[in-house]
Amino acid sequence: MTALDPTTAQLPAQPKGGTPRSGQHTRLWAALLALPTGWMVAFFLSSMVIVVLLSFGRTQADGQPVFSTRLDNYAQLWDPLYLRLFLRSVSYAVATTAICAVLAYPVAYVVALHGGRRKNLLIAAIVVPFFASYLIRMYAWSALLSDDGLVNSLIVRLHLGGGVQFLNTPYAVIGGLVYGYVVFMILPVYAALERMDTSLIEAGKDLYHGPWRTFWSVTLPATRAGLFGGVLLVFLPALGDFVSAQLLGGPKTFMIGNLIQQQFLEGQNWPLGSAMTVAMMIGLTVIMVGYLRATATRSREAS
Amino acid sequence: MSLLHHTSDDAGLATAAPAVSLRGLTKSFGRDTVVDHLDLDIGKGEFFSLLGPSGCGKTTTLRMIAGFSDPSEGSIMVGGKNVTATPPHRRDVNTVFQSYALFEHLDVRGNVGFGLRRKGIDRRAIGQRVGEALELVQLADRAGSRPAELSGGQRQRVALARALVNRPQVLLLDEPLAALDLKLRRAMQVELKAIQREVDITFLFVTHDQDEALSMSDRIAIMNNGVIEQCGRPEDVYESPTSVFAAGFIGTSNLMPGTYADGSVAVCDGLRIPVPAGHGLGGGEQVSVAVRPEKIWLSELTPDMVRVPGTVVSSSYHGATTQYLVAIAPEVTLTVLEQNLPRMSPEDRWTPGSRVELGWLPEHAVLLR
Amino acid sequence: MSARSRRVERRPAVAVAVTVVFFAWLYLPIAAVVLFSFNSVKSLSTFRGFSTRWYADFVHDADLVTSLVASIGIAAVSAVGALVLGTMLALGLSRIRSRTGRAVGAVTLLPLVTPEIVTGVAALLLFTGVGLKLSLVTVTLAEITFSIAYVTVIVRGRLAAMSTEVEEAARDLGCTPWQALRLVTLPTLVPALLGAGLLVFALVFDDFVLAFFTTGVSPQPLPVRIYSSIRFGVSPAINAVGTVMLVLSALVMVLALIVPRLWGRKSSSLDLITGA
Repeated sequence: MTALDPTTAQLPAQPKGGTPRSGQHTRLWAALLALPTGWMVAFFLSSMVIVVLLSFGRTQADGQPVFSTRLDNYAQLWDPLYLRLFLRSVSYAVATTAICAVLAYPVAYVVALHGGRRKNLLIAAIVVPFFASYLIRMYAWSALLSDDGLVNSLIVRLHLGGGVQFLNTPYAVIGGLVYGYVVFMILPVYAALERMDTSLIEAGKDLYHGPWRTFWSVTLPATRAGLFGGVLLVFLPALGDFVSAQLLGGPKTFMIGNLIQQQFLEGQNWPLGSAMTVAMMIGLTVIMVGYLRATATRSREAS
Repeated sequence: MSLLHHTSDDAGLATAAPAVSLRGLTKSFGRDTVVDHLDLDIGKGEFFSLLGPSGCGKTTTLRMIAGFSDPSEGSIMVGGKNVTATPPHRRDVNTVFQSYALFEHLDVRGNVGFGLRRKGIDRRAIGQRVGEALELVQLADRAGSRPAELSGGQRQRVALARALVNRPQVLLLDEPLAALDLKLRRAMQVELKAIQREVDITFLFVTHDQDEALSMSDRIAIMNNGVIEQCGRPEDVYESPTSVFAAGFIGTSNLMPGTYADGSVAVCDGLRIPVPAGHGLGGGEQVSVAVRPEKIWLSELTPDMVRVPGTVVSSSYHGATTQYLVAIAPEVTLTVLEQNLPRMSPEDRWTPGSRVELGWLPEHAVLLR
Repeated sequence: MSARSRRVERRPAVAVAVTVVFFAWLYLPIAAVVLFSFNSVKSLSTFRGFSTRWYADFVHDADLVTSLVASIGIAAVSAVGALVLGTMLALGLSRIRSRTGRAVGAVTLLPLVTPEIVTGVAALLLFTGVGLKLSLVTVTLAEITFSIAYVTVIVRGRLAAMSTEVEEAARDLGCTPWQALRLVTLPTLVPALLGAGLLVFALVFDDFVLAFFTTGVSPQPLPVRIYSSIRFGVSPAINAVGTVMLVLSALVMVLALIVPRLWGRKSSSLDLITGA
């Protein structure tokens, strides 16, 4: 063993009053956190609290919203008209999500497994337009699909029929939603396909014969996480969207988003709008928790 | 070359005090004690290795000396100065990290000169010292490269130069060769040792690789469960292990457990192995006898050897050597390593089933408690 | 070529067909907007000849130009603001492992999973509640709040890929914690920060919903301005404005994808977007 030097051996062997270094460090990180946390509390959390509070409020005779403790707004929501609209919104969002998934798989598959060196370029070609103005793209569809728009004039000119009414139909609204949000499905599915071991697919082809059965029994389970993520990323914004229904639809196809928007910027009934917003968030949370539970169980069973 | 020598005025003091001394150094995480009351002195200019399996506390010890981790108890002295409460940037030690931890946004020159710039040394001196350091690690031609453009071995050299250029009292190396492939690792072992001699800086080298520790170190401390099992020169640690763990961790050891009585150990009925005297045992203690595989002979036994009969269980050819497993008792099998000498033909090798007589010199048997 | 790669390279015809149609569908409306912005007549169904009259209309519409400038300003300020706050947040969160730290981390991600209309409504109520007059300032405040999460996610991704030993190396070589952050961590993050900043710029520049709820009467951000003119009927001038917007945001997005790649060679925000 090491011989102890007598001069140093007498040094006190005890902790040196606390932990100065890590203390200094933790303070730095805490200081970094303070400002953004304060910001989020001031501008995000507090705004959410106000929405919840105002949902119990009322509108004064002069149109001013004031805080109160009434349940009137929620009672008002329990109206067949609103319930139908809520169900319509959910069904549009579900349809949008399903179509996005069906569309995303072949596209992501081709890019991920057959994209070769242009893989990144192709993904960029998908991403770039989606981050370009959603409003302009919705407007473009409304111009293209209008009764005297390009699509209809082509139909007439090619003698395919007497023109089709696209706008103001659920198809147009759902189509707009798909167009608006499909990228949020493609990206996670693409990432999952990228990570997937392609030898699995080959093994599947040997085992199951035929691409369809291989897809169902190999590719889909292997990319489940990406699909689940994409479903969330599409469903959430689609349910709250109001631009697609505003520009491509009409009153018959309005969604919750249009209703809320009306309360705030046209109807000027903010307390009712707040209650609708809270109700939508509650509905969303319930759907999401149910969905997350279901997918979590499914993933556990799979592994 | 100015890298070679410290220019500090307190050279007298520095030679008096060890480069590093640890007293009662302890680190606990909750109930887990990772480093347990470590006492250690590392001399100036020494190449010292902390050797042990992962989780033995060697890296934690290194991190406490560097200042990244606060000791729960005990003190750390570097060059005679108590640095237990000193933050890492004011300690006169530098570290070569396992992941190299190069700064990707700086080129090689910028990386190596980083520490000197922090010290506020003037530009021309920095340029010169960086040049010398790059010369030392043979990377002068890559001064303008980004770390991303370098190979693993080159990155490793940059990390070494970046630490050495500051001429620290102690250089801490945290498994710096672990990420290199075997061939490069061997080459770097030789080079690292040569560099250490040239710069004459104390190296504290942490590794789990016994070959590395044996071939480079002036002294080795074998760590296990937060304590030093044994500390000494490589040959002492290898030849005279003082614990079962030390014997097993460095090299291969044949351990024969048994009961001590009258100068020999009873391994089983009818098999007593004589051991050297001077251990102060009274009799009846449970002990182990350890003999290194290459210390056991299978032929040309001399009269002064301890002899044990056995049966060859298996033999495997390793080019320079042949390794045999020989059963000497129902529960005891020894590994024997025999040189394949020029005068030996393949027919001379023992085949499984052969009855053989093993022999070793009494002083090659180590008694372990 | 091995049997393995040959097998994978046989392209699934249906999937390829879907992909081709997908890309056509993706770019059809964009192409239409750009094409008809150069139409010499007002029609949106027949192209009669090349003209830049709608661009001239746009340039001479002081209102639209003000809105364009306003939108660029909002996007730039928001990008800087979100970058500063989001990076601080990411750095703090990556180092603090306490329960409060995790809670803060979860809260900051909430805007990402909240439908934008909810964020917009909430911001409107907050600003009117505390008596802030709705203006470009309120739009910017709301956009920053919404964008912090994007920056945080991207920067945390980069930080997670960075060895903690890099920061220790900086301290080992004489840096105080603050110097280590300034001289090593932040410079290493530069490519990710550039990517994140450009991404936020593009998102905010194009954002309609939040701006719609939080803007005052005049001047309005460009998307809000376009929205109100669309409601009064389709006009070819909108095509010109739209084309300008599309080109600008596409340019910024392309930069967001390319710059980090050129800079760091290793990571790009594309990887962060795709999670690859």
